Amino acid sequence: MDVRRARFEAIAPVVIDAVRRYLARRTDAATADDVLSETLMVCWRRLDEMPAEHLPWAYGVARYCLANAERGRRRQARLTARIARLDPPPEAVAGPAPAGPDLTAVLAEMRPEDAELLRLWAWEDLTPEQIGVVLGVSGNAAAIRLHRAKQKLRKLIERAGHEESTEGSRP
Amino acid sequence: MTDDDLRAHLRRADPGASLPQLPPDRIAPLLEHTMAVPFAEATVTPITTSARRRRVALLAAAVVVLFGVTAGWALLRPSSGPESTAGVPDVQLPAISSASVTRLTATGMVAKCMEPTAELLRSRTDFAFAGTVQEIDGGVVTLAVTHVYLGTPVDLVQVAQEGGASETMLGSGKFEQGGKYLVAASEGAIRICGYSGEADAPGLQALYDAAF
Repeated sequence: MDVRRARFEAIAPVVIDAVRRYLARRTDAATADDVLSETLMVCWRRLDEMPAEHLPWAYGVARYCLANAERGRRRQARLTARIARLDPPPEAVAGPAPAGPDLTAVLAEMRPEDAELLRLWAWEDLTPEQIGVVLGVSGNAAAIRLHRAKQKLRKLIERAGHEESTEGSRP
Repeated sequence: MTDDDLRAHLRRADPGASLPQLPPDRIAPLLEHTMAVPFAEATVTPITTSARRRRVALLAAAVVVLFGVTAGWALLRPSSGPESTAGVPDVQLPAISSASVTRLTATGMVAKCMEPTAELLRSRTDFAFAGTVQEIDGGVVTLAVTHVYLGTPVDLVQVAQEGGASETMLGSGKFEQGGKYLVAASEGAIRICGYSGEADAPGLQALYDAAF
């Protein structure tokens, strides 16, 4: 048992940091807290199944727990949905004015599956093989889907850039 | 636009990058809270009729467990500790034509429990429902679902109830014909420790109302 504890304590800080970011990118703060706690619980219970490369696996657990939490939440009163809309995931901090179109809006325009592949690639910094672990598909399938999603994103960025240059930036 | 450009573009829209690290004094209690939980509840995976690939994989895992392969059990739950070695009986679930059946397991293991709270009920449950026992046949209890508090809506839930289940649920301790129950499950296993039981067990309905 102590060996298990020691292993978990060694792994957990990195997992906590990564999963917190993963959740902050995808849900509101309150749900993120709940799902983080649940994800850790699953990691603790399934520590023996956790592969050496534990982050993609932990993202996969978090993804599953988040989907569960959101399914439950959808069934709650409309009020909850309203609160969630008032308390959306944080936007990127206002830094230096980003060059080019607003990627948050562009991602929202894409199919959720494609947008998720791009997030896992760019934000979680995962390889196609690792994305496959998170999504429960083969690395090959993830690579093909990621490639297509990148092409779609390029087109959308070009289109948005073109619109901006012809219409001027919206306020 | 190269891949690197694309990634740089995306990263500028990353809302997670600016998240400050959790200070160590908040990590420690989080770890303690996680590791303090004596997860006596056995764990098997849920079966639903969804065609999703993940579910199919889970189905395979659940079938292994339900057929009582002891080695498979040990393999799936190598960490469950000595107190939870009570296996699942060798039962074969009858085929049901309904499109929405969820199967769960209940074991009669000894459990060390923390006091149940609505918060823990909600945060560690992925499926909770109210139902009435329709049939008990060969160790398999079929419940007609009257309300789903959390999880995929289904019409029926089947529970592989261990033959001599000890008194693990609130109330009479096990499912009885015609009885009304509130049941919470986590990953396909019924949560005991005061989270599941007869619907009129003291405080249970209030716990569910508070949690969901």
